[in-house]
Amino acid sequence: MGTSVQLTPLSGVHSENPLSYLLSLDGFNFLVDCGWNDFFDPELLQPLSRVSSTIDAVLLSHPDTVHLGALPYAMKQFGLSAPVYSTEPVHKLGLLTMYDHYLSRRQVSDFDLFSLDDIDAAFQNVTRLTYSQDYHLSGKGEGIVITPHVAGHLLGGTIWKITKDGEDVIYAVDFNHRKERHLNGTVLESFVRPAVLITDAYNALNNQPSTRQRDQEFLDAILRTLRGDGKVLLPVDTAGRVLELILILEQYWTQHHLSYPIAFLTNVATSTIEYAKSSLEWMIDSIGKSFEHTRDNVFVLKNFNIIINKKELEKLPEGPKVVLASMASLEEGFSHDIFVEWAVDSKNLVVFTERAQFGTLARMLQVDPPPKVVKVTMHKRVPLVGEELKAYEEEQNRIKKEEALKASLSKEDDLKASCIVPDKSLSDPMVIDSAGGLISSEVASPRIVGYRDVLIDGFVPPSTSVSPMFPFYENSREWDDFGEVINPDDYAIKEEDMLDPTSVAVLGGGLEDKFDEDSNDMLLDSKPSKVVSNELTVQVKCSLIYKDFEGRSDSRSIKTILAHVAPLKLVLVHGSAEATEHLKQHCLKNVCSHVYAPQIGETIDVTSDLCAYKVRLSERLMSNVLFKKLGDYEIAWIDGEVNETDGMLTLVPLSTGPPLHKSVLVGDLKLADFKQFLASKGVPAEFSKGFLRCGENITLRKVGDSKGATQQVGIEGPLTEEYYKIRELLYSQFYLL
Amino acid sequence: MASNGPAPSMKKRESSGSREGDQLIITPLGAGNEVGRSCVFMSYKNKTVLFDCGIHPAYSGMAALPYFDEIDPSTIDVLLVTHFHLDHAASLPYFLEKTTFKGRVFMTHATKAIYRLILSDYVKVSKGSVEDMLYNEQDIIQSMDKIEVIDFHQTLEVNGIRFWCYTAGHVLGAAMFMVDIAGVRVLYTGDYSREEDRHLRAAELPQFSPDVCVIESTYGVQLHQPRVVREKRFTDVIHNTVAQGGRVLIPAFALGRAQELLLILDEYWSAHPELHNIPIYYASPLAKRCMAVYQTYINAMNERVRAQFEVSNPFDFKHISSLKSIENFDDVGPSVVMASPSGLQSGLSRQLFDMWCQDKKNACVIPGYVVEGTLAKTIINEPKDVTLSNGLTVPLNMQVHYISFSAHADYGQTFEFLKDLMPPNIILVHGEANEMGRLKQKLLAQLPDKNTKILTPKNCQTVEMHFNSEKMAKAIGRLAEKIPKEGEHVNGLLVKKGFTYQIIAPEDLHIFTQLSTGNIAQRISVPYEGAFSVIRHRLKQIYESVEPLGDPTESPTALLVHDRVTVKQENTKCVSIQWSTDPISDMVSDSVVTVILNINRGIARVGVMGEGVTEEEMERTAEKVVLALLNSLFGDVKRVAGEEGKMVVSVDGVVATVDSKSGVVECENEGLKQRLRTALRRIKSAVKPIPLQKISPFCYLERKL
Repeated sequence: MGTSVQLTPLSGVHSENPLSYLLSLDGFNFLVDCGWNDFFDPELLQPLSRVSSTIDAVLLSHPDTVHLGALPYAMKQFGLSAPVYSTEPVHKLGLLTMYDHYLSRRQVSDFDLFSLDDIDAAFQNVTRLTYSQDYHLSGKGEGIVITPHVAGHLLGGTIWKITKDGEDVIYAVDFNHRKERHLNGTVLESFVRPAVLITDAYNALNNQPSTRQRDQEFLDAILRTLRGDGKVLLPVDTAGRVLELILILEQYWTQHHLSYPIAFLTNVATSTIEYAKSSLEWMIDSIGKSFEHTRDNVFVLKNFNIIINKKELEKLPEGPKVVLASMASLEEGFSHDIFVEWAVDSKNLVVFTERAQFGTLARMLQVDPPPKVVKVTMHKRVPLVGEELKAYEEEQNRIKKEEALKASLSKEDDLKASCIVPDKSLSDPMVIDSAGGLISSEVASPRIVGYRDVLIDGFVPPSTSVSPMFPFYENSREWDDFGEVINPDDYAIKEEDMLDPTSVAVLGGGLEDKFDEDSNDMLLDSKPSKVVSNELTVQVKCSLIYKDFEGRSDSRSIKTILAHVAPLKLVLVHGSAEATEHLKQHCLKNVCSHVYAPQIGETIDVTSDLCAYKVRLSERLMSNVLFKKLGDYEIAWIDGEVNETDGMLTLVPLSTGPPLHKSVLVGDLKLADFKQFLASKGVPAEFSKGFLRCGENITLRKVGDSKGATQQVGIEGPLTEEYYKIRELLYSQFYLL
Repeated sequence: MASNGPAPSMKKRESSGSREGDQLIITPLGAGNEVGRSCVFMSYKNKTVLFDCGIHPAYSGMAALPYFDEIDPSTIDVLLVTHFHLDHAASLPYFLEKTTFKGRVFMTHATKAIYRLILSDYVKVSKGSVEDMLYNEQDIIQSMDKIEVIDFHQTLEVNGIRFWCYTAGHVLGAAMFMVDIAGVRVLYTGDYSREEDRHLRAAELPQFSPDVCVIESTYGVQLHQPRVVREKRFTDVIHNTVAQGGRVLIPAFALGRAQELLLILDEYWSAHPELHNIPIYYASPLAKRCMAVYQTYINAMNERVRAQFEVSNPFDFKHISSLKSIENFDDVGPSVVMASPSGLQSGLSRQLFDMWCQDKKNACVIPGYVVEGTLAKTIINEPKDVTLSNGLTVPLNMQVHYISFSAHADYGQTFEFLKDLMPPNIILVHGEANEMGRLKQKLLAQLPDKNTKILTPKNCQTVEMHFNSEKMAKAIGRLAEKIPKEGEHVNGLLVKKGFTYQIIAPEDLHIFTQLSTGNIAQRISVPYEGAFSVIRHRLKQIYESVEPLGDPTESPTALLVHDRVTVKQENTKCVSIQWSTDPISDMVSDSVVTVILNINRGIARVGVMGEGVTEEEMERTAEKVVLALLNSLFGDVKRVAGEEGKMVVSVDGVVATVDSKSGVVECENEGLKQRLRTALRRIKSAVKPIPLQKISPFCYLERKL
């Protein structure tokens, strides 16, 4: 019997909400994608929270928020601890995307859903795979093979093929069949007849103009604005489609020797570009080729200013410029602030390159006609001053004192031998002193504070001692017959220390080196500050345009691809209700009869009704089989008898002679092709009313629909030599088995 | 999977039963009992793979090539190159451009990027010395277009050959290839190292055990010193030499280990400020050009380097400057120079050696494996005198240190690797004959699986192995609705794609493959003006079954002949014949046509066994025929009285009973039984050539058509 397959959507069906689905194969639960939206609304994750403990593996398909945004939160809050699988770029770019989100949020609010450590922890146990790598799961998932394949759309974007017992389940969302500047097109079309295909209906109602026309209009609009002394803002994602946009602009700037400043601004911009530079093997073949030949790396950008904070943006010359800033939703990040600043000037231009998430500011602006006025909330982190600062400091001092007390109490036991116990009353003034400079790091451990007290106020007599004295630690030494007892470890040469002090330092550095220094400063430097919010009404005077640079296959291509792949069962997810319904109806008519579009929480069973068993082909049987070659296939008719040994079925030749069987004609006849063929054999043929008239009197026609199981061809004519001749030619188009 | 060794007796036994191409052949065309010109040919089931395509560094021109004459390059499906070293990749342009090879070539991204630079350099360097160049720069550029890239772990399939690669350590981009042909796996390690170093990962242990492992044996039974000790010796020798005002020459190949040594030196200099005034030179413009490659393919390196990249580029050396040629070299005081080639055959390293070899303050550190026949190999043994390139013989005073950093596995690593991998067959290549022999003995003694076969073929010596390849087929679709029991019959279409087999019912063919079945309905009209009943009458004389169609009360205007062919009176001038194509129906229809034509021409009816014969009489006649035929075959055949169709056959005293109706044969002698059965079957098919039965549940024929 076939493998049982169930799918339960947790989010992102009949809507454009983030993607998250539970796919279960013979009881092994995959969570495919773990998305969130730019609002980070925990409400959306309700269904996930209920099932997270039963998940055995997580598969990620694209490095953006709607595909993996909820991973850190789910790992932290829902106890999701299953191993995660993704491609190398999805891992790295996903990590950067999450950093960017966190940093953008943190700068303007007390964002506490997850921390940088949670992000790190979540991405730490990701197993990174390469395209077409067959990864065999072990343990509970024994027998399941997962393979990532090229999806296009984003760098590292993945179509997952999950195979068990020769049955393929394919998860393909947000794929792009077109080659782009930096990405290969998807290989989805190379899969034929999978048992189950799960795909999205996101673009089912969307048709795209030609790429060239789109690029031209896009660049023209930007250039027009720049020439008109305006500024251009492109709200982009952190590390996904922006790479394609950068290449387009970089190329255009180089070709036309433009000198307008152009900047890429996210919290992790430098890391993103550095990573892109070293990921050529994941990009389109031509990029790799050009590197192999001339060592030209396309991501060595000559025209771009890669910047990670607004201070540097201000350093750029005044006047017309282009800025690509995250996030695409305009809800947070640099793009939000810049938009508020620039929207009021009618010379400026905002170019949207993707459909923004539902309900976001960017989505509101994408409607036609765009609203004249939008309300935005500006959050700002301001340093504390005056009263507030004082209150904060007092609070901090109190906390610190308590900590110091706690620390000293816990230290007490250890330090008893040395007779030094930092006195609470005496260390008091010390703390107040240091509070003037404010202990800059929250992570500074109370233990250090304790020591500092002791060291500086060294001459203060501790309450337990009679006279002031230096702290003295008695070094008790043990002796035995051979002298002092030593610990051999103290004298062993530690390999790591000797080998490379630098790299140890680097590895020990941990978090800090993972992202760009400045933003780092801002974060770790926790000057007392508070978040101030105010509602603003922004007059949208600037021009707004939308150009589709999403890099997803459009409606027509999706339909063609689905018809080609022709899955036995098709599941539609992620797409507005209309789009899903539209594609469902289309597929029911043209692709297959099992099309599902489940609701959130609804478990659908897509177990194939396919029966299968394995049988060994004995050498004796095979020596009598004559294969006929048909394209990639070789095909033969066999008659065999089953022999069972140790539960293993073996097919051996029949003991009696083979029975006659209804002969099978294999082949696919296209009348048009056949007409050509006849012409080449000197037989005139022409179509009339759906019939193919061959020679004088013979007619050929196709009966029944083309989709049917068996192709029916009819040949009719009077008894003539010609009849037999044409029949002979017709036979040559088929293989008789 | 079961495997047999290359024992000749096996071969003989198999050759009768199995078809050609089931034996696995492995032939080293180079690197068999030698180091250099790696090239291993393998063939199984008519699929051929060539691993590596190197040259021998100690020879030049055609003599340096592997023995390509032994094979037909046009038959090779896939050529896999493990890494960019000359002895693994340098004959590739020759093979691609100057032979009939038309298969596909694969290597990793990093290998391909460096391959181009390294070979261009090779062509430039050897230009002066060799007249018969194997290829030129143009050939290299052209070869680049034919080379395809493969990423680590990526599984590719070409022509039914599945292959993927694992990290091999050794140098950047070095790979071990696993090839899977019809379930038989062969692992080719190339050069590999199981020890992680400053920038490379250790070679991986493949997840699956291969059936054959072709493994390098460069270091034979030697054991490396621990890495820490080696590095300390290296830095100590250099530190001491320069401290005493000496010069250090490190002859090293431009790429690969050199980068590792530079990382060590740069780090050591950073840690020792007192050395900062002593220059380190790296005399290789080639390496400088390759730096971009090292900076780009960090995904092929280990985590440590990748973590460093996040901060600054570790390959951006702070204390090392590059040196273009000896003219730019200002030899004034102590210095450290790393120069190629590693064997001191010619070039900059040789020029420096000639300058420095007579001063005992100087030192030469040989950091890796040196090939037999080179000067570097000679000086390791510290001879009293050496011959300079100008022919003079001078005393060798400089100190020579041999500290191996070459990232080849030593005995310990090889043993552990093979112990964990447990391949039933091991083929040793890439090693000197003596070392290889020792390694073989030691492995045979120590490997836990005592049945392991270890082979050390020489160049062009073919190793043959036999694998009982099991062919598994998967029955799917409606054919598999019920799992058959012992003795039940299975019939359907056997579809082979690559090396996978499926058994499919014809109706399901279009579901599981891109093929479709077809059906041709034929309709032919034959002029006929006579009475329709005549046709019916005549047909009845020939066919067992001629059924009228349509309303039984009226006289029929359509007949179904033999359940297959419909004859229908269209009008008074013609009849039509309809049937669905298959060989028997075609034959029946032909005979029907003949009958009608004969009636038209007024030819007398064919001779018939009388009309109105009852079925019983027919049976009896048939039995008579059977008896007569059996008699002619077996001699003594008697009918058993009273029982219909039973006969007794006795041959040489062995008695058998035959039921001619059911075809059941009973006999104690198995041989006779089989013969009788066959005879009976043939007689039956002669007596009743066209069985009247619905042989298939799927009758395409639409009767009402």
